[in-house]
Amino acid sequence: MSQVRLQQITKSFGNVTVIPPLDLDIADREFVVLVGPSGCGKTTTLRMIAGLETASSGSIRIGERDVTDLRPGSRNCSMVFQNYALYPHMTVAENIGYGMKVRGTPKAEIDKAVADAARILNLGAYLNRKPSALSGGQRQRVAIGRAIVRQPDVFLFDEPLSNLDAKLRIEMRTEIKLLHRRLQTTAVYVTHDQVEAMTMADRVVVMNQGRIEQAADPITLYEAPANLFVAAFIGAPSMNFVEGQLERGDGGLQFRADGGVAIKIAESRAEKLGAFVGQTVVLGIRPEHTMAADPSAPTVRLTVRDIEPLGPHTLALGRIGPAAFTAQVYAASRIGPDDEIEVPIESEKMHFFLKETGVAIGR
Amino acid sequence: MSVRTLKGKRRWLALGGCLIWLAFTFFPLYWVLITSFKTPIAVVGGPTYLPFVDFEPSLTAWSELLSGQRGEFFNTFLASTIIGLSAAVAATGIGAMAAYALVRFTFRFRLLSALIFVAIAFGGFLLGRHVFGFGQGISLIYAFVAALVLAVISSRFPLPGPELGNNDIVFWFVSQRMFPPIVAAFALYLMYTEMGKLGFKLVDSYIGLTFAYIAFSLPIVIWLMRDFFEALPVEVEEAAMVDNVPSWRIFFGIVLPMSKPGLIATFMITLAFVWNEFLFALFLTNSKWQTLPILVAGQNSQRGDEWWAISAAALVAIIPMMVMAGLLSRLMRSGLLLGAIK
Repeated sequence: MSQVRLQQITKSFGNVTVIPPLDLDIADREFVVLVGPSGCGKTTTLRMIAGLETASSGSIRIGERDVTDLRPGSRNCSMVFQNYALYPHMTVAENIGYGMKVRGTPKAEIDKAVADAARILNLGAYLNRKPSALSGGQRQRVAIGRAIVRQPDVFLFDEPLSNLDAKLRIEMRTEIKLLHRRLQTTAVYVTHDQVEAMTMADRVVVMNQGRIEQAADPITLYEAPANLFVAAFIGAPSMNFVEGQLERGDGGLQFRADGGVAIKIAESRAEKLGAFVGQTVVLGIRPEHTMAADPSAPTVRLTVRDIEPLGPHTLALGRIGPAAFTAQVYAASRIGPDDEIEVPIESEKMHFFLKETGVAIGR
Repeated sequence: MSVRTLKGKRRWLALGGCLIWLAFTFFPLYWVLITSFKTPIAVVGGPTYLPFVDFEPSLTAWSELLSGQRGEFFNTFLASTIIGLSAAVAATGIGAMAAYALVRFTFRFRLLSALIFVAIAFGGFLLGRHVFGFGQGISLIYAFVAALVLAVISSRFPLPGPELGNNDIVFWFVSQRMFPPIVAAFALYLMYTEMGKLGFKLVDSYIGLTFAYIAFSLPIVIWLMRDFFEALPVEVEEAAMVDNVPSWRIFFGIVLPMSKPGLIATFMITLAFVWNEFLFALFLTNSKWQTLPILVAGQNSQRGDEWWAISAAALVAIIPMMVMAGLLSRLMRSGLLLGAIK
């Protein structure tokens, strides 16, 4: 069993607090991705698990052990770095086997472990090369090989794919997922790329300014973001936000905003949202939910500024009143800049957030 | 822009300029070389430039030098080699460790601790000398041991006053090279004679001269190696730390091989410094452990301007360094870090 448990850990550098008290439980065999904008504390959190940074307070447990004060080497973690961090003067085989050699493992055992790792990672042909004679993807595979032979309790990945080109990144994404399925080792993976986070994770932890904004499986994050930050961070192109008020009119509950926006809210949701009448709320709707086929769907009037044809569909970038808005339209639609179009909204996909706190409401 | 891109006349001009400069820098060496093969008569009879044409070469100067007529040549050469190599190896090794510590670990101490060291070292010496009536050597040892112990103990307590860090330590090291060496040479000579009175022979001994050279080379070694270590990617060491590689293995197995070009360059600079050093050798040796610079300088003062002999001795001092530089420069190629990171 190798679950990871962070309890009330904090990290400050001098007077600057990078991580306010943070709790996170990672289950055994879980693949957890920490994602967030740069400076959100995700790498610091990972480095605290690895022991490369010491937590200012709080405790870290791996399995049944309290590792808070252990040095990195005794935590039985393996770490893969963004810039590979290979030993440049050793061959691939020596790189992978160095840790075992230092720990005094018999040579036959090392050779077997190295050969196994090389087979899993398709490195067999390169075992006698130096890292300088390898491509970026191969180097990262060597780094992963070095992590595997450790047989760690936890794999730690620090943006391992950021230095690779787009095509290789997608390939390696799948390879790492397959590897995790095969090895069944708990993994913590840090990235700033939300697509990487969504595609790889069992559970995504969205971080911002050292806090956890939401920790959930990818679909929950996408369908039910807990607050404005998560809603804006997850999804590409990102969610549209329109600021307005909830009003109770003769036809029931309505959302009203500048630019002539008036959207009727279905009875099923009106009950919960009714409590927020009169307060400033933010309507969130993803661009992919502006293509309702239902002719009775509410519409908003969009002033188009630019269009981005993507092939399967086209994005219309513009404004509704003061708010920037991106709508997805059919690729066949003949629209251009300065057009005014009516955009249908899939009202059941609407999200509402309280302006003041950013918290999602009405669910 | 490179010279290769030049065309026609400009190319020849550039080549000509380079050749003139080459001739200019090589002429003194050439002059020393041919002078060492001239007879005394050929030297004083006006300038001659080409062997076999202008003058008949002779081995007089070399045979005199190698036969020991001009001082204990072999002994001196051996002393220079042993002291030079051991001081350069030790200084590079110790300095590299110090530099690595200064790059990778954070040190903090109070200025007051340093002041305590200075005050107790000076005060203790005076106290021992004039109040307790100890000899100079004994007072010195007691005072320095007490100062070191008390300064280390005092740094455990939260003293008031400004805090010093790694950069201050490096500056302190380098600052030792700022005062004129003659100051240290006198002081060292006095200290060594006092130690000699206590039974530890340091003047004109291998240990004494090597220690002096190690101490004097360390600031440069630390300064140079710090730059090399700072350029290393820290992730490589972090990867090793996570992989449970002990610190000393990280240093010897990963850090040193990665900084090999820097180590060799530093070793070469240190060796050249020790090999050419004159002042300390003059003060701290008198016969057995005399080094080559003393021998070369002695040629002139003992026998007058016998240029043929001086030239031969000078060449003996120059050639080993040229050979070393030639051998080591092969190992100093760059690109060793390639493949470690991105």
